[in-house]
Amino acid sequence: MKLVVAIVKPHKLDEVKETLRELGVAGLTTTDVEGFGRQRGHTEVYRGAEYQVDFVPKVKVEILADDDQVSELVEAIMGAARTGKIGDGKIWVVPAEQVVRIRTGEMGPDAL
Amino acid sequence: MSGSAGSSPEPGSSLPRPAPVARLLEERSALDRAYSPGHHGRWSAARRAELTDACLLELFALVEPPAGVALVALGGYGRGELAPRSDIDLLLLHDGSWPDEMAVFAERLLYPLWDAGLTVGHGVRTPDECLTLADERLDGATAMLDGRWLGGDEDLWAGTRAALVRALDATPRVFAERLRADAEARAERFGHVSHLLEPDLKEGAGGLRDVHLPGWLAAVIGSTLEERGILRATEREAVDEAHELLLRVRSALHVEAGRATDRLLLEQQPEIARWMGFTDEPGLAAVDALMRQVFLHARQVEHVRAAALDRYLRGASEAGVVESSPEGVLRALVGVAAEHGIPTPATLDRIEDVEIADPVAWTDGVRDAFLELLRLGEGGVAMLEVLDRLDLLERFVPEWSLVRCRPQRDPYHRYPVDVHLLRTLSNVARLLDDPGEDRMAAEAAAAIVDRDGLLLGALLHDIGKTGLRDHVTVGREVAGRALDRMGPWNATADLARFLVAQHLLLPDVATRRDLGDDDLVLDVAARIGDPGRLAALYLLALGDAEATGPAAWTPWRATLVRELVSKVQHVLERGEAGPETAVRLAERTNAVRALLSRVPEEEVERFLERLPRSYLLAVPPERIARQHAIVAPGLGELEVRTLAGPDGRPGTYALTVVASDRPGLLSLIAGALSLTGLSILSAQVFTTEDGVAVDEFEVEGAFEADVGEERWREFRTTLRKAIEGRVALEHRVEEKRRRYPPPRHEVPLRIDVHTDASDFFTVVEVGAADRIGLLFDVTRTFAELGLDVHLAKVATYGARVVDAFYVRDVLGRKLDPEQVGELELALRARLGE
Repeated sequence: MKLVVAIVKPHKLDEVKETLRELGVAGLTTTDVEGFGRQRGHTEVYRGAEYQVDFVPKVKVEILADDDQVSELVEAIMGAARTGKIGDGKIWVVPAEQVVRIRTGEMGPDAL
Repeated sequence: MSGSAGSSPEPGSSLPRPAPVARLLEERSALDRAYSPGHHGRWSAARRAELTDACLLELFALVEPPAGVALVALGGYGRGELAPRSDIDLLLLHDGSWPDEMAVFAERLLYPLWDAGLTVGHGVRTPDECLTLADERLDGATAMLDGRWLGGDEDLWAGTRAALVRALDATPRVFAERLRADAEARAERFGHVSHLLEPDLKEGAGGLRDVHLPGWLAAVIGSTLEERGILRATEREAVDEAHELLLRVRSALHVEAGRATDRLLLEQQPEIARWMGFTDEPGLAAVDALMRQVFLHARQVEHVRAAALDRYLRGASEAGVVESSPEGVLRALVGVAAEHGIPTPATLDRIEDVEIADPVAWTDGVRDAFLELLRLGEGGVAMLEVLDRLDLLERFVPEWSLVRCRPQRDPYHRYPVDVHLLRTLSNVARLLDDPGEDRMAAEAAAAIVDRDGLLLGALLHDIGKTGLRDHVTVGREVAGRALDRMGPWNATADLARFLVAQHLLLPDVATRRDLGDDDLVLDVAARIGDPGRLAALYLLALGDAEATGPAAWTPWRATLVRELVSKVQHVLERGEAGPETAVRLAERTNAVRALLSRVPEEEVERFLERLPRSYLLAVPPERIARQHAIVAPGLGELEVRTLAGPDGRPGTYALTVVASDRPGLLSLIAGALSLTGLSILSAQVFTTEDGVAVDEFEVEGAFEADVGEERWREFRTTLRKAIEGRVALEHRVEEKRRRYPPPRHEVPLRIDVHTDASDFFTVVEVGAADRIGLLFDVTRTFAELGLDVHLAKVATYGARVVDAFYVRDVLGRKLDPEQVGELELALRARLGE
């Protein structure tokens, strides 16, 4: 099993969610996050008042998936989250040692 | 207690149940069934206490109490009020003659009750121990103030209670302060029954403990609170009504849960609402109707509790001046708020004596006074709450009744709609005077001209939450009605209407849309129209979020909203968009629709959707309609389509080039035009949503004024070849250039880069001597550096040409200083310095 983690632009979340739902993904977790990558931060100016934005708002999406689903998921997220502009985000996949569904005690792929 | 019961060798369940207990159980269950579970109010609670009294007295006689012992009911039971599963709290008061025997005696008395599954709490104390307990624990003191003699040594109890009252009355202010501190601690710990979706009906602020608090104060100070001017008759009535309702809900809750519990959970509400006779109605579900009643009553209780203690501790002061008119009432409240006070009972009496029509006939005076209250912020809001409790606010703003105490069942909102509105108003008023750390708020506050409009917008922004349809749409109508009634005040009311209609615009767009999309920012700017309204929307968004709950305004959201606000501000400052832009956009889109009336509607809409706003604004509708034929059909990868026709000026032509977008396309077009003998006067580059370049040129023949179809065809062929890489554009253009003499005048090369002119593009101005293929050279340089040209403007002054280009890099960013340096270097090298 794998944990697929994606950092995407906030306005792309709905599209990502929709695409994953179409793929039959049963559950995912989202978090509002802030950070920087190559996009770095920027400065906002409003009527002379300056705001240094060091961390850019993004949304983190996490999905637990069976190994053979992963490449499909990654591709789907990429397709949905891509604008081609800077700051589109990243996807990474890490192994998930164990998954347990709390209510039933099911483990492993059964718990996905 | 359960410990001692468990350690008993023979739990009494195997013993025959004493008759009085068996009878009590039967009677209790008969009582439970006698009413629907939603109608166990005070009468039922009193009856349950009576039945319990009878049982206890018999048990007490059976165990043959020694002399010097009294059986006393405490707390709620002492008041003669037992909800279905309430604890039965007892005191075994003894004179200390038989200390060792008392524990055994208590167990003999209570075992049958415990065994029957009743929850009985008891204390065994001497009078001195009672006084010590009362000193240490407020709940101990109040339970004994509510105490009631059941049996045994009556004088012993009478003496103890008198001593208790004497002790507390020796320092009545201390006792009142203890009551207040306890109430505040409970509010802190259990929250407010007046707005929590899962309130604690007993301990929460405005709950049953607060209902009883005035009684404890009265018990200690020895006179009724009405006599002392601490409580008004109407307030007592309101508390009595609240008592009945809260007790009914709590009793229903006990029945539903099958145990003593005071927290009304979401999943229990539908059943309890049904039991209590609430039904679903349009705009108000039964559960919401239930919670609305709970909120309304708890709000009164909470107020009376706070007011009673406050008036007692501060001393109730004189009545204020209240002129007998709606305006007079508002003015009186303005006076109270301005002195940071609360209205005295006498002032409230006077206000209630004023005849106020329903609805109020608004006059200039009423309006001025009402606005005066709004401007006072938090203090003014407190006075609006006073009006609300007196049921008068709805006479001024009848629309208020739709949102009053209306629960909001979502994870964000903490408060019922009306509380949320008042808090938003208070927040916005505060932000206007003291924006705090947020510099954007400070700048926005400074930009607000019409404060009243903003305050009214804050007060009414969610007034459309009536449970029917989308609240913003409803809000426009409802707020419009309210504002119309208040009178003619044009600009101020317009601002308020605008704020009600658009209060979600900033947060919604900021979190859900692509802020890097210049079309989007232009649209938002067009909808907002001017910097003052933008500032008002920002302050409202701040105040609204703060009044919603902790999840509504996180740094994450703040960053996004600020980014949108600053981008919109820049667009408005530069005059790129305003209200007229939105109008113009709509007009033009409709004009295109009309011109394409023969094309299926769906296809037209799809076509319009693909086009960028800037294109719709820049290109005349007639032209757009003509271009439909070459833009709409699917386009091959290497296909080139053109549409040319005479432009406004003689000898110039408007040329549209449609091709699949690719890096450097503009330079290929510019090169192909040069080779075909066409000079470029201006160029605008657009890309549709699906990556089709629609480039608009104004061209003229370089050598002859008339350009015929043959030449356009030649251009198309050259361009297609260039795209396919089958023509060496650079060399062909160079070759062509050499055939003609260079310009006679020396024109110095000038390159100016403006990074602040646009939020989305770096503007590069190139001034150079006019020559064949100049635009080709410049755009080729951009393409080589991976820069995208969005707009090119060409101006020719004799031998000198000044071209302005709006560019951004391949990732959609403006250029950084390093990129600017490289670009200048490359341009100078290419343009021959």
